[in-house]
Order: sequence, then structure tokens, then C-alpha cells
Amino acid sequence: MSENETKSFYADKLKRAVHLLVFRRGKLPGAKEWELKEKVGKNYQQVMEQLNTILSELDLEIKKVSEPPSGQITESEETVQMNEPRYYVTLKGSLGVKEAKMIGWRIDNLAALTGAIAYLVAKQGKAPREDVERVVAEKYGRWKAATLVDIFLRAGYLEEDDAGVTSLGWRTKTEVNLPALMTKMTEGRA
Amino acid sequence: MEKKTKAGRQTLAAGRKELKEVIETCDAIERRKFNPFFLDVKLGVETLREYFPLWAEFQDNCLDAHALNRLSEVVRLQNTQLKFQSSALYAEPEFIAKKFQRMSEKRLAEVFLQSWHPIVELEQLTNEAVSIGLDYWNLLLPIQERWKRRDYSRGKNPESADSNTLVGLGIHGEKFEATLTQLWKTLMETYNAEKAPVDYWKFVKMESHRETVERAYFVSFLVTYGFAKMQLEGERITLLPIENPTNKPAEGGVSVPIAIPSEA
Repeated sequence: MSENETKSFYADKLKRAVHLLVFRRGKLPGAKEWELKEKVGKNYQQVMEQLNTILSELDLEIKKVSEPPSGQITESEETVQMNEPRYYVTLKGSLGVKEAKMIGWRIDNLAALTGAIAYLVAKQGKAPREDVERVVAEKYGRWKAATLVDIFLRAGYLEEDDAGVTSLGWRTKTEVNLPALMTKMTEGRA
Repeated sequence: MEKKTKAGRQTLAAGRKELKEVIETCDAIERRKFNPFFLDVKLGVETLREYFPLWAEFQDNCLDAHALNRLSEVVRLQNTQLKFQSSALYAEPEFIAKKFQRMSEKRLAEVFLQSWHPIVELEQLTNEAVSIGLDYWNLLLPIQERWKRRDYSRGKNPESADSNTLVGLGIHGEKFEATLTQLWKTLMETYNAEKAPVDYWKFVKMESHRETVERAYFVSFLVTYGFAKMQLEGERITLLPIENPTNKPAEGGVSVPIAIPSEA
């Protein structure tokens, strides 16, 4: 294969990979490992690395997320059977308050989400819904707390099972750097 | 002999009861109601050992196996907790709750934003999205119809109000919540007394116009927050209290503007 042919071969694979990662097809954004393997080829990991280099110049990065099915936080991944990893494109840096407002987030909603996530992390990733609502309600009132928790559930930042136990949602696990959040939360000034 | 059997039966019953209690406690721990170290696993295993020779029926052995399985789950949770406590993510839940109360909204939002790396994605038009959009437009009345009902009024320009102002007006805070809860109870009592959906106007009608408007305002929150259902039957509007509210706004809900005439 000539050098030009190799270049075009990779360019084609890069395009296919970025389409899979960026355009939402099902309920969740991103692409599963098997999809990438099928559409991009066996050397998809190399393609991902190449794409990551290109995206990093735009303050974006590819994130691979493997999660335990129960949604709990575990230190060791070996003991728990993991779901198939999923690849997402995420922002590498962070947004400012004004930018967050521009993309549709209210400051009070973000503040409540911080409290709910930090509380769940402190409870090892799971807590009864009424406990999470109680914590949020102490700052925002009972009625608003219930609505806020619903918003977070719909957005995928929290999950709730049939027994009414809430846990960290797929979006939190993908988008939020939990150790950084907890450090800032515990150190944070009023 | 008879005495012995009787004593034996009592012990068997007590054993079953104790095992069920162990299982319930383990389940509660799994649902994060209690700390995993709340249960003395050693004592639990000793209890199983104590009653094991008494089990005669298949169900008893199943109960014993189930209790053992639950205890092993608690041990796993204890192990996870110890690992978690030695990690960077560990913080006391009560400390976090207090910190959350003390920190300002802006600071909390900043904490989140500094550790948030949102997903980048492009949304596309799908068949499902088109269908939802069509349903919405089909439900809307023609623009001429909607404009006909609108009366112009040159009111004051909208202004922003802070939390203290809202509390002062009685539409935010603890007092507001207490009023809503009381109103929901009243609606429930009226419904139980009539055994039929409550007529909206009968329910909101008070002695003065001001009180009527205020009550209608609170009723709108009951409906929005899923504590009551509003039914439109021709000209008649009825309210149906929801006994076990989901705290969720009804799916596919629509806004119903209700004009309250001054004679109401």
C-alpha cells in the first residue's frame, strides 16, 4: 500500500469513528466497543488514539467508560463483572459559569446537583431517594427538591431502581471527575 | 415427651423468626438503610449454627441458605466500605450535607463546573422526534383562535424577585410548603367525603376574590407537582387527589389557563 493510500485509508476510518462517537443513534450518546470494532475495524484502538490527538487540539478528548452494572462505586474492577465499555467524546477542560448558563443550566440546579452527587458519593454511590431529597430539601425546600431530583434522573446524572434507591447515573460516571469534585467539596469555602 | 415436642416447636419458630430478622437486616443494609458494620456478622453466623440442627423441612434449609447468602453480601459490603474509606472519595455523608447547606449556590456551581467534562454530541431528527413534534402541533388551536382569546393589558414590566421577597409574599419557603400540604389534605378529605372527583370551582371558591385567587394559585402547584390530577369534562373542571403522589409532573401535561372572574 502506498503512503497516499495509507493516509486515505486512515482518514476514512477517522471519519467513520468520529461519526459514530458524535452522532447520537440510540438512547445514549457515544459508541460501544463492538460497534467501533465492526465499523472501524480491528485496529480501532489505534484509530481512537489518532482521533484523540486530533481532538485534543480542540479541547476535546475520547473517554472510555466501563461501569459495573449495579452503578456502585468500586475501587477494584476485578471483583465486579463490568458492562461492555462505551466511548464518548467529552470536553477536556471545563466550562465557566456563564458558559454553563448559555447551554441551558441554571446555577441553582447545578448547585443542587453538586450536593446530590457529593452526598451519593459519600454514601458509596447509593442512597434511598428520600435521603437525597432530604439533603437537597434542606437548602431548596421539599417541593423543589422532588422536582430537582426528577430533573437529575431524567438527565441521567442519577438513577433510581424499583426499590427507590438512587445511585450515580451513567452521565455522572462519564462526565464528572468524582475525586476532584469531592476534594473541592471538602476543601471548598462557603 | 409432649413437653419436649412443644419446647422444640417453640425453638423452631423462634429460629425461623430470628433468621427472618437477620435476612431483613441484611436487605436493609444492602438498600443502604444502615451502615454495613451495623450488623455483627459473627453473631449472625452463630445464630445460624445454633438453629441448624433443628431444621427438618426443606423450606427451613432454604431459609438457612438464604440467610447465609445475605450475610456473605454484608461481608462484601463491609469489604467495599473499608476499601472506599481508604480512597480519595471518602467523606462523611453528614459532613457533606452540612457543607452543602453552608456553601453558596455560586460556589457549589463552580465546584461542579471545575470537575465537569460534558459529553459532546450532535442531536438528529429521528422518526420519534418528528412524531412528538407533530402531536404537539396537532394539539394546538389555530393561531386565530388563540389570538381571539387574548386581551391586551398594559401592566407593569416584569421585575426579578429575590428569595426573601418570595418568602415575604408567602409563595416560597417553609410556610409555602406547609400551605400546600394542608391544601392537599383538605382536597383528600373532600374527595373522601364526596367519593367523587371534586369540582374545581367549589374547591377554590372562598369568601373574597383575593382568597379565591390565592387558593387557585396553590391548586396549580398541587397539579404541577403531581399531588392532584385536573380533569376537563367539557365546561366542568374537576380535581382528583393522588393518594400516593409520585412527586413527578405528569407526562405529556398541558397548561390550562383558568380565568378567575372578579365575581368568583
